[in-house]
Amino acid sequence: MSLPHDSAHTHVTGQSEFVDDRPAMKNELFMDVFYSSRAHALIKKLDFSEVLKMPGVVAVFTGKDFHHNLWGTIFKDQPILAVDKVQYAGEGIALIVATSMEAAQRAKYKVIIEYTDLEAVLSIDEAKAKKSFIMDSRKIERGEVNSSMKLAPHKLSGKIIIQGHDHFYLESQVSIAYPLEDGQMELHSSSQHSTETQHVVAHALGLSAKDVVCIVKRMGGGFGGKESQSAPFAAMAALAAQKLNVPIRICLTKDDDMIMTGKRNPFENEYDVGFDEQGRILSLDVRLFSDAGAYADLSTSIMERAMLHSDGSYFIPNIRVVGQVCKTNHHSHTAFRGFGGPKGQATAEKIIEEVAHYLKLDPLEVRKINLYSDEGGRNLTHYGQLVKNNCLAKVIHQLEKKSNYVKRREDISAFNKTSTDFVRGMSLTTVKFGISFTTRFLNQGNALVIVHNDGSLQISTGATEMGQGVNARISTLVTRELGLPRDAARVMPTRTDKNANTSPTAASSGTDINGAAALLATRKIKKRLSELAYKLLDIPKEKWASKTAGLGTQPEVKLETPNLDENDPNAGAEWQSGKATYFEMQFEDGWVFHPEHPTKKIEFKYLVLEAYLNRVSLSDYAFYKIPGIEFNKLTGQGDAFLYFTQGAACSEVSLNKLTGEVKVLRTDIVMDLGRPINHDLDVGQVSGAFIQGLGWVTTENLFYNDQGLLLSHAPSTYKIPNVQDTPREFNIELLENDENTSNVQGTKAVGEPPLLLALSAWTAVNNALTYLPRYHKTYPTIRIPATSENVMRALNPDAFSVWES
Amino acid sequence: MRQKIIFYLNGKRKEAGAEQASMMLADYLRYDQSLTGTKIVCAEGDCGACSVLRYFPHVPTSVDAQNYLAVNSCITVLAQLDGSSLVTVDALKKNEELHPAQSAMVKCHGSQCGFCTPGFVMAITGMMEEKISKSQTTLTSQEAKNCMTGNLCRCTGYQPIIDAALSIDLKNVESIKSRFYSDHQAQELRAAFAESVHIESEHFSFFAPKTLKEALLYLKANPDAKIMGAATDLGVIHNKRKITLTKLVSLHLMSELYSIDEKAGMVQVGARVTLTELRHFMKDKISEFAHYLDIFASPQIKNIGTVIGNIANASPIGDTPSAFLALNATVCVYGDTGEREVALSEFFLAYRTINIKPGEIITAIKFKLPEVNSTLKLYKNSNRKDLDISAVNLAINVAWTDQTQKELKEITIAAGGVAATPLRLKKTETFLKSRPLSQATIDLAVKEFHSEFKPLSDVRATSAYRRVLIENYFRKFFTDAGVGQ
Repeated sequence: MSLPHDSAHTHVTGQSEFVDDRPAMKNELFMDVFYSSRAHALIKKLDFSEVLKMPGVVAVFTGKDFHHNLWGTIFKDQPILAVDKVQYAGEGIALIVATSMEAAQRAKYKVIIEYTDLEAVLSIDEAKAKKSFIMDSRKIERGEVNSSMKLAPHKLSGKIIIQGHDHFYLESQVSIAYPLEDGQMELHSSSQHSTETQHVVAHALGLSAKDVVCIVKRMGGGFGGKESQSAPFAAMAALAAQKLNVPIRICLTKDDDMIMTGKRNPFENEYDVGFDEQGRILSLDVRLFSDAGAYADLSTSIMERAMLHSDGSYFIPNIRVVGQVCKTNHHSHTAFRGFGGPKGQATAEKIIEEVAHYLKLDPLEVRKINLYSDEGGRNLTHYGQLVKNNCLAKVIHQLEKKSNYVKRREDISAFNKTSTDFVRGMSLTTVKFGISFTTRFLNQGNALVIVHNDGSLQISTGATEMGQGVNARISTLVTRELGLPRDAARVMPTRTDKNANTSPTAASSGTDINGAAALLATRKIKKRLSELAYKLLDIPKEKWASKTAGLGTQPEVKLETPNLDENDPNAGAEWQSGKATYFEMQFEDGWVFHPEHPTKKIEFKYLVLEAYLNRVSLSDYAFYKIPGIEFNKLTGQGDAFLYFTQGAACSEVSLNKLTGEVKVLRTDIVMDLGRPINHDLDVGQVSGAFIQGLGWVTTENLFYNDQGLLLSHAPSTYKIPNVQDTPREFNIELLENDENTSNVQGTKAVGEPPLLLALSAWTAVNNALTYLPRYHKTYPTIRIPATSENVMRALNPDAFSVWES
Repeated sequence: MRQKIIFYLNGKRKEAGAEQASMMLADYLRYDQSLTGTKIVCAEGDCGACSVLRYFPHVPTSVDAQNYLAVNSCITVLAQLDGSSLVTVDALKKNEELHPAQSAMVKCHGSQCGFCTPGFVMAITGMMEEKISKSQTTLTSQEAKNCMTGNLCRCTGYQPIIDAALSIDLKNVESIKSRFYSDHQAQELRAAFAESVHIESEHFSFFAPKTLKEALLYLKANPDAKIMGAATDLGVIHNKRKITLTKLVSLHLMSELYSIDEKAGMVQVGARVTLTELRHFMKDKISEFAHYLDIFASPQIKNIGTVIGNIANASPIGDTPSAFLALNATVCVYGDTGEREVALSEFFLAYRTINIKPGEIITAIKFKLPEVNSTLKLYKNSNRKDLDISAVNLAINVAWTDQTQKELKEITIAAGGVAATPLRLKKTETFLKSRPLSQATIDLAVKEFHSEFKPLSDVRATSAYRRVLIENYFRKFFTDAGVGQ
């Protein structure tokens, strides 16, 4: 039985505090953002006279009021508020400050604006035609793609269209800025990246970083949507707070949040594949095109990860992956769970299915024959990294048995022969997700561990809690090391004045980086406490400082060994317990003792008190950097990741032939998560990520008007999975193992990888379609998402052409 | 005449005048009462994060309504909660002990980010109240899913929440009702219910009369006043800042409007009857209708939303209008000249325009239960099966000449999502009645069918998809009826 999420007991009572739950201060004002309704236009006229007449309105600000109006995580190319020109519908133009949120929202309708429209780019195709690109294309290549393609016995070409995906975190973008004395600013923000928010705010307001503190207690979901894009909203609140010298709250409505903020990048990927009779891929040429929206945001990094995942889990001897980021007039797309990974993997899995279909083989056989494998040197990725501890064959073997794949494949064929109203399909897809930021410098973190003199602990790291349980895992790592119950420690809100220069909680790396740092900080303290205990237990109790310090009759116990200086969280630790030992002292169940004299022991909390009285530091700070990341972005070669998280899923779907409705009948998942710190929280990540991915590949449909304004901007029109959409049968199993020695306590990151497994439902939809005579020869071309309309169009295109020709 | 609305919140009596009565309950809870456990996400009743429990003890009808039921606080105007007893997540914990719904969520990891959690806890608690009141001690997986159909979670993938609901021991739980609904409270609310309400201020007025006559007089004097059912649509439009609520009339104090009466196969559903109660009634009378209501909106909406509201709203994609059209329903209207009845087929005049005169009040909808040899089918398609608005719906009601069910005696067909109003397809009906049923007849009828409407393309579906869907449903009806076999 795993421990619950550390906030579970306050979540269920509603006591957990989110930003907008903070009581409003007496002088606090509220902010709403007026935004563009045009894709690309010059602002001809902007008039706030009617706004200022509205009840409760206090002030209006524009981009010109910022000290610096440009921000951006990789390139500073994006205005916080558009000035003179808008580049997407939903782009912020003005800030309205009022005495209530409702007053601000109502006043927004009174802005008078006139535009001069400019030519807009609203699709990848248009961007390609107009060469509207962000940065040059990039390439990762291995082997002889052209010649091997020519020689390949069979060839196929195709394309996959992948639409965007809204994060749909339940808590919208929200920040409160409190102006403090002497020009300082304190921000409470729902952000995955406290440091970037601090820096963006400081830069925008002309302050130095020392004057801005960003505090993140928790988020009501993030999923990547609050990695970069929460920062500008914090800057908006901070601007008004600075100008008006009162606290300012900005809290977007769901509608405005969806309209303004970026999504998962749409991709349109083209490929040529050459293969032999067995389905072994000999040559692959993939061209990836992503829609970045109007600004760069993280899109170049997202493209990089897509390129690094275009191999899927499959060894392809000759491969060329070219990626081009397109600039369009859509909201600026951004990180979303999986980053570029799902778009690369989707392409690879589609290719496998298509090859199998062409050769009339079961796709599972084609997957197996192409898997990375230690045999025959088939274990090197196209970017030159060895796939170590590869367990995919084992995962698939286990899943195949567990899901009863062969028998069910027969059942499906039989069912499809007789059913008039439904057609079924099944598919088993894989994931091999690279763990680490591909940008080396982001792979660093720091932690502060404080032991109070009653023996309780506070832990502060740069990790932000968005529901994933990073705090629960970190406090488990720390308290386990000290032999204490988890509730002996509290993980404090993330604050830039405690943990500076941190990385976003992203790339599934929250626990890997911050947990390792916290553990290293804990061990520094533990080493000192161990030496103290070792010495103390040789001194009669009546001479201990707790009895004598007030009088000063006894000499102080002095520590003689140097402080621990270590970057490896597994160094010196016993593998099974995960605990490091110093001076042979054991920390167990709240006691500290020497294994040879177990009865001569001291309670942890008294040892801590002795440490204080003997002037031994009870706090420490540690820094951790992930070793071995050597990836050269220019050559596209090197070790991009510390390790891979692997898994596979088998999904069976049923398509309603009359309506196109998709029902997932059953999904089985097997994942390798090494040694989980908290088994149940990890399983929760797997089920949550899978269902989120299922929404992406089925019901979640971003629908824009001809100005690129999002029309499906609320749950009434944008359909994330509901409880009834979960697979009728849903089994998750972890393949626990001790092999991942490179990461803290042998654990593996879990946040993003299982999202990619939802592709099994999408390929299963395709698989179902292939049972129809129409698709016996040609493979379906359905896009992601396979909405009921898209499926219906694939099921019966003629029925549509009657009305659309 | 009261000048304040009266309700109970977490066991405490509350009164509210104009300033608060015009607020949405969720705003009132969060920003007036500092009860921030209730969350606002979509502000349109589509995610359930704002769920609270509401008991309206004055309803004379079904057992199902005699409970604390989950409702969406984000689209509920405080004024309409006059006479209600409310319980929010903040009060669920008893002393230091979590409510079983809460401890189950903790134990089964039903909460990740925590933002949707209070809503799920309230939805599960609402389901438990129903179970307790019926002395049922088991819960199926499907029932667990059904009770949380109105709640969205983006973190857990739902499985842990389903597990949490299933792990609750329903045998020894104390009901919310026994904890919060005291005799004293019952007395106070009864007293409040006996008296009409009139709140008047510069920006907002609210009138809740005890009789239709009073209502009529008021509407005559105040032609700009709006009758509010459960405000499940009004609340949304208000939250999207497209309207301000200025002058509202509520019929919630009239007991006679809460009943469903059945006499000799004729059913009359009062203006205040909720969709949940209609479903309860339909379960034994027209099971097809009951199933249809299962995929209608969310439990939270159905628990407060009225049947008449769904009709009077006149949305072309409303779900019950086409069903009632197929049942040949009539709308009962009360006005200056007394009562009159309008056939539902004559009721929808244009987009969101209905056939009633200014000042008239809809009091009920009437329909005949289908005869023995008849078939009623209600079809609905939406982007997501549950908790979604129709792209199209189709209702077909056939009375057969005899039990062989080969020959049509009567047929009524109605569709939603294909025109500016819910639509009776009379030409198709006439066509089908004019010749013997055969596959050839159906093929020809399909042409007639399509000629009766011209669907739009929008965020929910393209025009062509709507046509494909509705034709498939149309054909399916007759295939299932054995035509052409």
